[in-house]
Amino acid sequence: MRQVILTLAALAVLGAVAGAATIGLGLFNVSARIDHLPPVHWALHTTFEQNVRLRAPDPAAVPATLEDPGMIRLGAGHYDSACRFCHAAPGEAQSATVRAMNPVPPHITEAAAKWQPHHLHWIIDNGVKMSGMPHWPSRARDDDVWAVVAFLAQVPGMTAQDYDGLLPRVADRPAGLAYCATCHGADGRGGGNPHVPRLDIQGAPYLEAALEAYRQGRRDSGIMHHAARAVEPALLPGLAAHFASRDPGAAPAPAPPGPPGTEACRACHGPWPEPRNPLFPELAGQHAAYTATQLRLWRDGLRAASTPQEALMKKAAHALEDADIDAIAAWYAALPAAPDG
Amino acid sequence: MRRAAGVLWAMLLSGPAAAARQSVIHPAGEDAALVAGLFWWLLGGAVLLWLLMNGLFLYLTRLNPVPLSRRLAEMLIIGGGVLLPTVVLAVLLGVTLQKIPMHMRPGDGLRVHVTGEEWWWRVEYWPEGADAPIVSANEIRLPAGQRTDVTLGSARVIHSFWIPALGGKLDMFPGRETRMSLLPQIPGTYRGQCAEFCGLSHALMAFEAVVMEPADFQAWLTAQAAPALPPADARAARGRAVFFAEGCGGCHAIRGTAATAGAGPDLTHLGSRTTLASATLPMTEAALAEWIADPESAKPGALMPGYGHLSGAELGDLAHYLKGLR
Repeated sequence: MRQVILTLAALAVLGAVAGAATIGLGLFNVSARIDHLPPVHWALHTTFEQNVRLRAPDPAAVPATLEDPGMIRLGAGHYDSACRFCHAAPGEAQSATVRAMNPVPPHITEAAAKWQPHHLHWIIDNGVKMSGMPHWPSRARDDDVWAVVAFLAQVPGMTAQDYDGLLPRVADRPAGLAYCATCHGADGRGGGNPHVPRLDIQGAPYLEAALEAYRQGRRDSGIMHHAARAVEPALLPGLAAHFASRDPGAAPAPAPPGPPGTEACRACHGPWPEPRNPLFPELAGQHAAYTATQLRLWRDGLRAASTPQEALMKKAAHALEDADIDAIAAWYAALPAAPDG
Repeated sequence: MRRAAGVLWAMLLSGPAAAARQSVIHPAGEDAALVAGLFWWLLGGAVLLWLLMNGLFLYLTRLNPVPLSRRLAEMLIIGGGVLLPTVVLAVLLGVTLQKIPMHMRPGDGLRVHVTGEEWWWRVEYWPEGADAPIVSANEIRLPAGQRTDVTLGSARVIHSFWIPALGGKLDMFPGRETRMSLLPQIPGTYRGQCAEFCGLSHALMAFEAVVMEPADFQAWLTAQAAPALPPADARAARGRAVFFAEGCGGCHAIRGTAATAGAGPDLTHLGSRTTLASATLPMTEAALAEWIADPESAKPGALMPGYGHLSGAELGDLAHYLKGLR
């Protein structure tokens, strides 16, 4: 008995010494040139695949908007900026550098064909540890991940030409505009995409505050947090001014007051007969889908206040029913944009 | 600190010095006198019965402890245990049943409709024949010597309306109107209080009830019906601009301006009220500014968002404008 215990103790000490030496002396070679042994590769990859299948959201949670052209275009815009470097575009080969990663990121056509939309949502939202795949940069929100999923669902069979058709290209004046215009259009109307907010109706102070909040991650959106950091901070005020000065096609006179009960919205977001704080966003003319999404985020406590003015929305939206939200969003979408000033 | 000050203030209002302001046994109206009368008669009767029972008990067990005849014992049990309570309770039932309808005798013309909100009181005055009410909040004024109809409702949860010095209490239900009437007799300022637990700030849901001479009341009501005064000075004008720029009109009405919303209390004549935040704070510019900056520190759970991000000057100007709305 005594001999068994001594043997086990000696083995434990030897194991600890070997482990400490491997870590402390750097004995394990982490070179990406050296592939995993086949059983190790199998174990790691199977763990990943089974993990995705176990943890992916219920297929019933896949939103009905997945085939919306606007969702697909928004997802393509984000993919082009954030994901293309590693996974390439349809009809495009991955770069030699990316092919030298270990593990090699799957080509977009291969990955999109392999997984169902709910699996893709989990992978994009969570990322994959020790593989180079990052998690979604927003913490509170995972709803905007669906735009990327919507795009990926269209990738099988997509040609390079189809892909380019999803991404409008404009001249880069002012600097950074070409990038913003991928989703928002040079005129700030995003080609009428209901999932991308109209910027032409906003004033510069609000746009600047929103961009800064996105850049710092105080305002949650995986898409805009990435986008606002992809542009030099010094360029943001110029971009805000560019979109603020677009002609929103405003009505010649202020819109008439809305039906009773809309005061709660109008006092901050217009139409309103007195001057308002320019940090409140304009909603007249805003796309209903975008307004409704944001109102639901406020109501459900998923949108954090990035400015003191935004904090007012928590109590303003806390008791809204879905029907109220849809009615408010539709009413604002039907209003003509407010005249400037 | 501010919350502590608010609570302290509320305690002072209801402390011994001001006991008569919120007291069933200091009635200031016919309806409260009825309740107080019932209370005193019942108390007197209860004391009398207590003395009789204990006297009899003392006599039979200590002063004259002799066996009773079977006949006398049966008379005591049947007479004192069955007949006497039946008669006493029947008389009490008859008297009180007859008095219950008295709390809803028809009024002399004016109707006040009070809605329980979280946690404040929406008050509408409907003079006889009026098409639209005169809207106020968190303070109820009544003419002395006249019977006023009081109809009660609630926005979301059950509250209870009670001005102890003027009458009995009555529950306020969402989706159902209850009614009573009040005949105050002694002009003065009394205190009402929500008497049904209704959420976080239930204990801070109070109001002042001001009983006025009929002529004074008429003058006051006429003033309340008028639109708000324009800003009296440059500072008030700056405060008015803050009110409209920061979205206050999304919830509050100031009649005569673009602000017509009804989610929060009507502020048209806010400065003429005696208290702020339903009798939680004094009506001063300092208290107004503190309240606007952080309503929940004075009233936990208050639905009004805090405007602590406004500068001290903006808050001061806004408070000055609101206090000037007399």
